[in-house]
Amino acid sequence: MAAPCSRMASRPLWQFITNVRRTGLKHTGVRQFSLSYACRAATQTSSKTESVASPWKLYGAVCLQRLPVISQERNPIEDQFAELMHQMELERSLLSEHEQRLLEDAERMTRKQADNYDSDEEEADYGGQETITAQDQDDTWEQNLKHFQPALRDRDVGGTPLGSVERCLGDSLVLLVQQTVAKENIWLLPQAPWEAGETLRQTAERVLSSLPEADFKATFLGNTPCGVYRYKFPKDVRTESCVGAKVFFFKALLSAGSASQKEPFLWVKKTDLQGYLKPSYLEKVDRFILNL
Amino acid sequence: MSIAVSRALCRVLSRQAAVPTNVSSLMGVDGHVSQGPWFASVLTLKTSAPLRAEPKKKKKVDPRREQMVRERLKKKLKKLERVPPELIPIEDFTTPAKYMDETRVRGAPQLPFEESERRALLLKEWSRYKQTQHRAEMEAVGLAVEAQREALEELRLESEELYQAALRPDPLLFPFNHQGPSYTPPKAQYEAPEGKYNNITKVYTQ
Repeated sequence: MAAPCSRMASRPLWQFITNVRRTGLKHTGVRQFSLSYACRAATQTSSKTESVASPWKLYGAVCLQRLPVISQERNPIEDQFAELMHQMELERSLLSEHEQRLLEDAERMTRKQADNYDSDEEEADYGGQETITAQDQDDTWEQNLKHFQPALRDRDVGGTPLGSVERCLGDSLVLLVQQTVAKENIWLLPQAPWEAGETLRQTAERVLSSLPEADFKATFLGNTPCGVYRYKFPKDVRTESCVGAKVFFFKALLSAGSASQKEPFLWVKKTDLQGYLKPSYLEKVDRFILNL
Repeated sequence: MSIAVSRALCRVLSRQAAVPTNVSSLMGVDGHVSQGPWFASVLTLKTSAPLRAEPKKKKKVDPRREQMVRERLKKKLKKLERVPPELIPIEDFTTPAKYMDETRVRGAPQLPFEESERRALLLKEWSRYKQTQHRAEMEAVGLAVEAQREALEELRLESEELYQAALRPDPLLFPFNHQGPSYTPPKAQYEAPEGKYNNITKVYTQ
């Protein structure tokens, strides 16, 4: 146990250095203390197996994402490139049978209108049948297409409410819930405290099912948490046994579901998260929410 | 053939029988040609030779000959079977003859210099755009992986049991199906029209 313990002790230090470089010495004081405490906690837990309860409260949270339903709008460069590709493909291709038919029909029309038109000769070739020209077929097909009305691509023109799942069909949305944490009403990813006897993923599933007035059917992507947010309680609440809390996030994809349009829910794009989440929380959460 | 063989055998036996009788007649006390017991048996052999000899021959030669014939047939069959099975042709790799027709060729347009320049520059810009996009994607994935690694580390510091539970693979996750984005959103309560089609793909059997 000595080797892993020393590794655990040294890694927080290394992480501290890299984090300092990254965050620019913003939370240095807090992080240093918490890291050293975590290091001591690690040594404690390793020496006395499971006899000392960890001073951190565990929470399970779910990051429920609705993946995009329609394709995104093209950038100008994507537009140009798509056009170029289409043109090049057309140039390098051979004539299809339909196009050949069109050409033949056009030729036949010109021959009919010519002065020295010999209808007997023509009819001998084609057997005097009434043929549907390719142009006629084209027209009938276009008429059929016009009968079909596809659903509109952008429905946001009407101003769908923020709580609706139908907004921003081209982007992936994340579910935010308003909860009271530490006597403050804040927006965060839905979370619930962990109870003994269940894995953290079960906690996350419980969170999803216990959301008021909503039934979301989601597929959880694996048993591993995708991120963690650790925070310490303010000094007056802190006791010996609970210093702070760790929130473990689990990813889930929305398969079906509906919710009432009441306030507690919010479906938000990744770029808009900044307006709702706290900065330190956002920093951790932003990493695992992919906008791809 | 068997009758001729038996007859020959008869003759041989009678000849053999005849020799000692001559001797015995010369040596015999009686003076007349006495038919010894062996000669008598030969005579009986004469009458019953076809009856006695043929079944014996059938037992040895015919079963062997039939077996030989059967073995030869089997060997021929095996040789035929050893030929490797004909390979199924991949229809995608052979250009059908009707596409080699010259009347199908579209007139290749002569591009002006500006057009070809514009195309070349657009392709280069596109490659640059795709490169930045790829870098951004790789970075995002790297951050996500790092976040997960940190989460697992913290969990391990908390409790080993939960950590082990987190590492276990989820058997219900695969096969995972998801309908990707389409150009227009799906219409509610839309019934697609029934269509008929004739499947003319060629099925090969080996």
